[in-house]
Amino acid sequence: MPDSAFVNQNKRVRWYWTAPYVAVGVFAVTMLVLVWFLQSREADNQRNAVARDVQWAEQTMRLHMQGTEEFLAQLARDFAANALDADGFQMRANQHIANNGELINIVWVGADELVRWSAPFDTTDWLPGDALSGAQRQPFSLARELGRTVYGEPHVNARSALVLEVYVPARRGREFMGAIVAVYSIDQIVRHLIPNWFADKYRLALLGASGAVLAVNSSVIEVDESVFFEIPLDPPGNGLVLRATAFRTEGGLPQALPTAMILGLSIIVLWSLWLLRGHVRRRVQVEKERDRLFNLSLDLLCVVGLDGSFRRCNPAFTRILGYQPDELPGKTLLDIVHSEDTAATLEHLRTLARGEPGSFENRCRCADGTFKWLAWSINPVLDEGLVYAVAHDISGRRASEDALRAESAFRKAMEESVITGMRAIDLSGRIIYVNTAFCRMVGFDADELIGAVPPFPYWPDEDLAICRHNLELTLAGRAPNSGFEMRIRRKNAERLDARFYLSPLIDLTGRQTGWMASVTDITEPKRVRAALESAHERFEAVLDSLEAAVFVADVASDEILFANRAFKRIHGFDAVGRTVRGVAVPQPDRSRYPVDLAVVDVGALPIELFDGELQHPLSGRWYHVRENATRWVDGRVVRTGIATDITDRKQSAEVTREQAERLQHTSRLITMGEMASTLAHELNQPLSAIANYCMGCVTRIQGGRFREEDLLAAMQKASFQAERAGKIIRRVREFVKKSEPRRSAVGIAEIIEDAIGFVDFDARRVSGRITLDMERDLPAVFADRIMIEQVIINLVKNGLDAMAGLSRDERELIVRVRKTGKRSVEVAVIDRGHGIGEEEKRQLFSPFYTTKAEGMGLGLNICRSIIEFHDSSLIVDSNPEGGTIFAFTLPTEAIVSEKLVRRA
Amino acid sequence: MKSLSAEPEQCIYIVDDDEALRDSLVWLLESSGYRAEAFASADAFLKMFSAELMGCLLLDVRMPGMSGLELFEELQRRHCALPVIFITGHGDVPMAVSALKKGAVDFIEKPFGDRDMLALIEESLAGERLGRERRLLEAMTSRRLAGLTQREREVLDLIISGKLNKQIADVLGISIKTVEVHRARVMEKMEVSSLAELVQSVLSIDAGTDGRY
Repeated sequence: MPDSAFVNQNKRVRWYWTAPYVAVGVFAVTMLVLVWFLQSREADNQRNAVARDVQWAEQTMRLHMQGTEEFLAQLARDFAANALDADGFQMRANQHIANNGELINIVWVGADELVRWSAPFDTTDWLPGDALSGAQRQPFSLARELGRTVYGEPHVNARSALVLEVYVPARRGREFMGAIVAVYSIDQIVRHLIPNWFADKYRLALLGASGAVLAVNSSVIEVDESVFFEIPLDPPGNGLVLRATAFRTEGGLPQALPTAMILGLSIIVLWSLWLLRGHVRRRVQVEKERDRLFNLSLDLLCVVGLDGSFRRCNPAFTRILGYQPDELPGKTLLDIVHSEDTAATLEHLRTLARGEPGSFENRCRCADGTFKWLAWSINPVLDEGLVYAVAHDISGRRASEDALRAESAFRKAMEESVITGMRAIDLSGRIIYVNTAFCRMVGFDADELIGAVPPFPYWPDEDLAICRHNLELTLAGRAPNSGFEMRIRRKNAERLDARFYLSPLIDLTGRQTGWMASVTDITEPKRVRAALESAHERFEAVLDSLEAAVFVADVASDEILFANRAFKRIHGFDAVGRTVRGVAVPQPDRSRYPVDLAVVDVGALPIELFDGELQHPLSGRWYHVRENATRWVDGRVVRTGIATDITDRKQSAEVTREQAERLQHTSRLITMGEMASTLAHELNQPLSAIANYCMGCVTRIQGGRFREEDLLAAMQKASFQAERAGKIIRRVREFVKKSEPRRSAVGIAEIIEDAIGFVDFDARRVSGRITLDMERDLPAVFADRIMIEQVIINLVKNGLDAMAGLSRDERELIVRVRKTGKRSVEVAVIDRGHGIGEEEKRQLFSPFYTTKAEGMGLGLNICRSIIEFHDSSLIVDSNPEGGTIFAFTLPTEAIVSEKLVRRA
Repeated sequence: MKSLSAEPEQCIYIVDDDEALRDSLVWLLESSGYRAEAFASADAFLKMFSAELMGCLLLDVRMPGMSGLELFEELQRRHCALPVIFITGHGDVPMAVSALKKGAVDFIEKPFGDRDMLALIEESLAGERLGRERRLLEAMTSRRLAGLTQREREVLDLIISGKLNKQIADVLGISIKTVEVHRARVMEKMEVSSLAELVQSVLSIDAGTDGRY
């Protein structure tokens, strides 16, 4: 609310408050004034009444007294007139006294101041002859002098009664005869001269001149001292005052009551107003607080009509939904509810019609069109026709709920899908939780396991003691880190091996509440391990039974990782862990390896590193050593070496070598037979050409139709063909020459080309192609030309033959030459033929092994010998594309010095 | 030796992968007055091959890629009318024999004397020409035969089989006169003047062509 309006309202409020006070005050004052006024009026009235009454009373008394005066005067006159005698006096006086009760005596007092006559007859007060008392003489004399009636002062007579005397002088002419005195009893005056009704109303008091009360008609009735009237009583005068005080009227309200009541009521009203003000202040405060709460509330608060239309919305609507304060009143709740939730919301709203509060959740549209989840609590107040609604933004909660649900579902799914069993026990050993995997593992349901105490259902009878012991260790916190390996049973009595890993179960506050075990079924792994162990034993047994020394060494550190018994026997039983060089194993120079072990590609393993003969530097014995680079069980690259003692063999090798040389010679002859036919075919071409050229020339010359240049051309071509024929012859001749194998630096390219030249015819015979894949700039190799040619010819022919079964397009033989490392050149003959099986590979190099009908099976063996002569080896491999690869390496010319001790 | 029987359109086609041999053969043949064309491979020859070629073919049996034999089979598939002579080296005799059985003219073994070669070529060319002529004749006869009506064809068949007019009339159920009329028309359409000629021409068609003369 804007400040000025607020201030204005404040002022109005203050006016609201002061007005009642003022009004009440004014009213009270008015009322008091009125009451006072009325009361005073009434008092006045009363006083007036009293006055009137008293005046009447006085009048009455006066009249009475005057009457008596008259009587007395009459008497006096009569006396004066001598009409009165004693009897008459007596009679008249007695009668008068009898008629006027207030009179006590009527006395004739002579001029001598002595009593003459006194009435009533029997009175004792005035005895004739009595003299007047001092008090009495005064009024008497006064009367004598004045000649008028005089009243004496009230005084107490001899009988102690308060009396009042009246002296009526009698004069005969001028002669004072005396006075007639009437004695009033003051008491009786008050009683007799006052009518009853007066005495009922007033207390009459006769007051002397000094104000002393002379007589009063006492009454027990209370008097209202404020309502009185005094009137001088004259006659007698002398200061006699008649005072009448009104009796309090019975049943009359005390005068103070209205005032008191007014005051009291005013006070009550003011007090009520004060309380009310305080109350209203508190209410206003409460309302302010409520308003503030209403405005500050983070939840949406609104007042809605029964038709659903917004009457009042708190600022949270702006904050949360983005609506301006004036946007919503007029709209209905259903306007902002998400279309999908409208039906459900309507359902809930129907309960409102019955006056029941409802709560539900739905999506409501914000001003920007997005939706938020709200939890509504709706309370209808049917009397007012209004609905009070509170909504809480639960978008976050819903999102968290969804996230939590997803999280829980994911965790549950994870838990369900995990294959490790989990079992939790509390500190006393009772099972408090098992996961699905564990139940599956042991075949028991969760209900059968949770709450179970030892012995657990999955403990097998025969191992109860062990299980119990393990559990005790667990509860004592002494379970080993590697866990327990136990035999447990399934519900169907099957036994399985399981490993239990224990860890303490800690709750949110950090307190340990039990132990959690993760359980894995190791039956299979155990079986595998056992199989592995026995396999390893067998393996070791086999290796140890070998006569050959076997070792495995790490390529990097040269550390011996494994050695069999034979190895240990030779190089020491402490060989494992030491380096290969350290135990003096004869080693080829690393540079002789075809690959650099430091950078070898693991995928290329296994690779043969070395296959040769080495001599032990110390014992001098000869070993045939084969080394491979391979992958060790832990994945690293190692080299394995097998060394066979060939000292004895070597001695007989001399004989064998001579035999081999003879064999080689033989094979040369056989090859030569083939060479001859090759030669014949080869020579055919140039010869035919020469014949044709020559015949052509002859014909032209004979026919006379020739041009010199044509003839010349033809002749030149013919001689060229003759040269070609010569080359062929020479080649054969060279081949036939029996010479010691001589190694020298030769260009590998020439060797290969020549060799292919030899077999070219063969290739054409089988319609095969020979493709030469030669690197450029190949270094010279250190080799015997003829021998290598022979090898290549043999390999190529074999390759071509192998491809006999292929179609024309596929019959391609590749001869590949490339550098391998800095010191060697590799020659590979690759065919796409039928390939060589494992079995055949082993037999391939055996002497006399052949698959060809006409073959003698010497070729490959001789080839291998030749290659070995060149310090290399002939490798047979399967061509991944089908077929076979024969390959060998030749050292480049640079390797002249041999680091090995060899027999040449 | 100059050949008189070679026609200018006849060409000797040589297919051999050995350059020296090709070149020398061409030299030799041209010396003898023949036209010759050489091809380094079977594929090269097939590229320019067409059915109208006249002459003969010299094929080297051993060639990389498509061999001589394979080329021969391909040419047979294409109904090549050229006579084929195989040039063989040592050891190819069985292959050559099978080629002959398939329809090659002959084979000659390297190295060959020019006299043998030329004689063979002469034979082939002559044969090729004869074959061509005969085929022409046969085509004509076929055309003529096609021009006969059905009745005339029936009469012709019966004449060929040696039936007399009367017998023909009986078989066909027509009068002898009609037969004579048909006969005359047949002779006219076939453009022959004697029975012997008629028989000869018709029979030649029946025998069919087999590439050999």
